[in-house]
Amino acid sequence: MTRRFLDHTEIAMSVNGEPRRGAAPACATLLDVLRDELGLTGAKRACDRGTCGACTVLVDDRRIYACLALAAAQDGRRVVTIEGLARGGELHPIQRAFVAHDALQCGYCTPGQILSAVGLLGEGRATDEASLREQMSGNLCRCGAYPNIVAAIRDAAGA
Amino acid sequence: MPGVVAVLTHASAPRIASARLPLLLQDPAVCFAGQPVAVVVAETVTQARRAAAAVEVTCEASAAITTMHPALDRAYAPRSAGHVATDSRRGDPERAPRPREIARRYTTPTQLHHPLEPPFVVARWDGDALVVHTTTQAVFAHRQQLADCFGVPVERVRVVSRLLGGGFGGKGRAWFPYLVLCAMAARHVARPVALELTRAEMFTLIGRRQETIQDLRIAATSHGELTAITHDTVAPTSMYGEYADPTATVSRVLYACPHVATSHRLVRVHAPQPNPMRAPGEGPGSFALESALDELAHELGIDPLALRLRNHTEHDPHTGLPWSSNQLRACYRVAAEAFGWAARPRQIGSLREGRHRLGWGMAGACYPVYRMASHAEVSVDPARGVVVRCGTQDLGTGTTTILAQLAAGALGVPLGDVAVEIGDTQLPEGPYSGGAHVTASVTPAVEQAVHRLRHQLIERAVADPASPLSGLAPERVALTGGTLTGAGRAEPLAALVARTGGLACTAHTAPDPEPRASSYAHGAVFVEVAVDPDLGEVRVRRICAAYACGRILNPLLAHSQLVGGLVLGIGMALHEATVTDARSGRVVNANLADYAIAGHADMPRFEIALVDDDDPHLAGGVKGTGMIGTVGIAAAIANAVFHATGRRIRDLPIRLESLLG
Repeated sequence: MTRRFLDHTEIAMSVNGEPRRGAAPACATLLDVLRDELGLTGAKRACDRGTCGACTVLVDDRRIYACLALAAAQDGRRVVTIEGLARGGELHPIQRAFVAHDALQCGYCTPGQILSAVGLLGEGRATDEASLREQMSGNLCRCGAYPNIVAAIRDAAGA
Repeated sequence: MPGVVAVLTHASAPRIASARLPLLLQDPAVCFAGQPVAVVVAETVTQARRAAAAVEVTCEASAAITTMHPALDRAYAPRSAGHVATDSRRGDPERAPRPREIARRYTTPTQLHHPLEPPFVVARWDGDALVVHTTTQAVFAHRQQLADCFGVPVERVRVVSRLLGGGFGGKGRAWFPYLVLCAMAARHVARPVALELTRAEMFTLIGRRQETIQDLRIAATSHGELTAITHDTVAPTSMYGEYADPTATVSRVLYACPHVATSHRLVRVHAPQPNPMRAPGEGPGSFALESALDELAHELGIDPLALRLRNHTEHDPHTGLPWSSNQLRACYRVAAEAFGWAARPRQIGSLREGRHRLGWGMAGACYPVYRMASHAEVSVDPARGVVVRCGTQDLGTGTTTILAQLAAGALGVPLGDVAVEIGDTQLPEGPYSGGAHVTASVTPAVEQAVHRLRHQLIERAVADPASPLSGLAPERVALTGGTLTGAGRAEPLAALVARTGGLACTAHTAPDPEPRASSYAHGAVFVEVAVDPDLGEVRVRRICAAYACGRILNPLLAHSQLVGGLVLGIGMALHEATVTDARSGRVVNANLADYAIAGHADMPRFEIALVDDDDPHLAGGVKGTGMIGTVGIAAAIANAVFHATGRRIRDLPIRLESLLG
């Protein structure tokens, strides 16, 4: 990482499988860069302080709040957003399950819920419905789609 | 500062021509902590925020009343309570026989809509033409108001709201001043301007569910026949606006009771203006009424469900009109059976599971059927197929799906083949999104338009010598599965349209101005809670509820709406409260960590039943499902907590500290 300006840093990341490189303000969050620089608006800025989970993305397969992660700290990492989850036009199994279970109403929290679920299934920490709910509690849904979200994740996990 | 394009204050902002609503930067008075006093336009969001933080404000302090509690003696009667009368009176409650009586005070706190999507607007002027893209629940109402404010013809204003990330009431009237602010700034700098609120700003700038103090007095015979109800509410309103939630609706109509008086009073405070939030009035009002009924049942030694059934009313006792339909008894029966209510022990605190005390509680619910006039257009053309156009919005409730479904069903084409255009004032005028009335309002209009289209397509086919159906009587032709058939002959709709060209039909429907029946959706909700006796923690374990909401167009969407309403009710019962520092008037917990809303881990097991409710009086038969889930649930939870612990919590939310000590 080299300093270009006093308050800018050079960052190289893989975003949805594509190498991306550029200068970002040192105070910029990963969410700022994804939305404002790369035009990937699937991750939402809803609370801007790590309380709602609408900005959840995967970094090196771990789910994180992009609004609390400095962009500069993601140098060299692999980022996956909702835009990069489908493969060759095929929805990810979690995405398909969300559609099948009506696991969304307004859809604003949905990218975060889906990426959080993808991350969670990789963690192996959700062993039953109660632990799944507990482990998904970092993602708020104001419409109240929670039961269908959990049903969708269970369905996809069993598949 | 770098990037700053303009700074507008009350001194420099352009004057707004007409304002039926309170607007910003039009006068120097500050009415509440958090009120915007300047708007900064800059090249980037970061520059704008930095510059806004650097604005220095000088103001003269004057005495402020930030909460209603020290000023209750100044309560006054507002012009109305929501859509209904401020006061009501039937019989003579003061002189009614009161063999047994309870008189209790219930309170509910200020709550906030908090759609997950923050409100947003982009405004662009082209001469005197204004285009506004925004997150509004009411494109047509806002177009008219913008035209009035800027003194331009209404045809020169376009408002677009294609997708909404929830609203719950927070993207209606309260959001409008920001459309004006953004359009004003865009005109001032002669460039497009975008304005977005932060989550912290959403705690003061897009309205709130007003807190309430509700006094309930219920009298009954020792057998549980209600003889008198009085329900009096005091709530705050701002210094610059007036709004009262209709908290007493449920007390006016839910039970057969000869003597009922209700009132709504407001106290002016230096705080943000309250506005409707999901199940406005009926949500908090049913907490008080249905808690009081439970208290009465306990006092009389009657089962809470039996008490309600004993006082069921066969007509609307408030207006004297018959019900358009009322399946409340069926709701009670279906939900009680699913829950297993018959096995409920009378003894308080007798249900245990390990260290936890379990409690069972229930409540009844109703919500008025509101509907608006609506236009709709349904068309079919060779290029796009079937298109439904209606200038309403989709909050995320499924309005788009419903519109497509209505056309697809009537034309016999696959759902995926129907395109829907909504959320734009260039479309036929549709209703605003709120009060659970969109589906109820648009269904008759869309069905009428589709009916006309179908009729005209058949007429066209039988009159066309090139059609295999040529010469048939129109009534012998059917349109199913996207094909016109009759007398053993058939022609695909697509072929007819390809040959003869497109066709569009419109319809306009309006609610009956003098209905001869009273229309409400009804419901019954049964709840099991588990209370940790050492920590005071309350968990909702399961909810069995049944609802009668007229015709259900899409059971999956209806189920999601009802569960969503119940989830908000769980938040109302156990989590949500805005804390205001009385001295400064500021919201202390202005973030989603300190203003807790229900999350995944708070979810119980849901069992929701939709009861058949065939309403012969309502055109289209739809009553709406968006609101009623939030009615009754908070009381059912509080009643379950009483059953578990013997503690009667009359002040929401029910938290650890409510049950400890």
